[in-house]
Amino acid sequence: MIRYRAPFIFGAMAVLFMVVALGAYKPLTALMSLHMLVQVPLLILAGLFAERAAEPRLTLSAYEATTSQRRSWSCNEYGVPGLLLVSLVGAAWMIPKTLDDALVDWRVAVFKYVGLPVCGWILGASVRRAPAVIKLFFLGNFCWMSAIVGMIYLDHPQRLCNAYLLSDQEWAGHGLIALALALPLGWVVAKRGALN
Amino acid sequence: MRWFLTLVLALTAGVGALYGLTDGFTALTAESARRLDVSRQPRAIHDAVAVNDQEGTFSLRSELQADGRVAIVNFFYSRCISLCLAQGFVTQRLQEAIEADGLNSSVRLISISFDPRDHGADLTRYATNMNAHPAAWQFWALEQPRQRKALLNQFGITVVRAAFGDFEHNAALHVVTPGGRLARIVDLDEPGLALQVAKNLSRGRQ
Repeated sequence: MIRYRAPFIFGAMAVLFMVVALGAYKPLTALMSLHMLVQVPLLILAGLFAERAAEPRLTLSAYEATTSQRRSWSCNEYGVPGLLLVSLVGAAWMIPKTLDDALVDWRVAVFKYVGLPVCGWILGASVRRAPAVIKLFFLGNFCWMSAIVGMIYLDHPQRLCNAYLLSDQEWAGHGLIALALALPLGWVVAKRGALN
Repeated sequence: MRWFLTLVLALTAGVGALYGLTDGFTALTAESARRLDVSRQPRAIHDAVAVNDQEGTFSLRSELQADGRVAIVNFFYSRCISLCLAQGFVTQRLQEAIEADGLNSSVRLISISFDPRDHGADLTRYATNMNAHPAAWQFWALEQPRQRKALLNQFGITVVRAAFGDFEHNAALHVVTPGGRLARIVDLDEPGLALQVAKNLSRGRQ
């Protein structure tokens, strides 16, 4: 009973995030800060929760029948290839041009609405396979990148995105720096139990 | 081995995405991308119905053709009190340079308004405030919304509505040939370069 409740919640959240990110795309892309720090994360989380919802069934079938399920993922050993891909895609969404292009170029829009949930799925699958050291490495890298990009946004006197206002660029900068602080803090809080 | 292959695949896909999004690692902003793109591949601009400060309507492409001079074009709106003023100052200096160098017969300046509220009278007022000499510097507005949108798209001008009926927009100097080709986009900080490019284009035509 309990086994099946968690996947249901994860599945519902995945659907909810996807519906919000798609349904409210107009207000969510009206501001640079919302576009970068709300819509993009929602799409990634949708993929991540979808993977979480599917995961118990994957392990169940692995236990029951063969190890084929596990072997099919052995190409993502320690989650390193997956985390590498997700890091690079994360970097791509910090480039101002990507945000501008997502509004006017259908190919970049597809990269956003399809690519990001897929990346979220890969992220979920990779994090489960990654030892703490590897997680720490990728998290650390992502955080300093996010903080530096945030500082560049704050520091830049001109607009970096043609579609967004300068004041909004500052919000996005502050948001990226906040993200760089919140992610490791959240990780430490989540791992607190394991350390004690 | 399989792990290594997926690692290479992930690296290729990720770096490939970055390559594609930055136009081959050359541009991080849409603004620099449009400038590079135009310098590599000049664009033939669409025709549009324009109106000038004398309230006369005309076809933009035919006017460029009939005039025969290379134009340095910028975009503005007459109620603007920030970027357009800086841009106007740069254009004033260009006007002085054109007149001082005796380039009146080969290069001219055109400021095009993207604001639907701008009509003949607004253009005249703005031209007077800018000390524009009608022979060297003309002011146009675009009449039809769809054509205005298409032209702005083609030039890569993004207009964002800001508070209090203001607009925020990207600004640069656009060198346009009499044949209606957008040949080069130059930064506002380099009016001398824009003039040089215009001069070369004009010389090439003779």
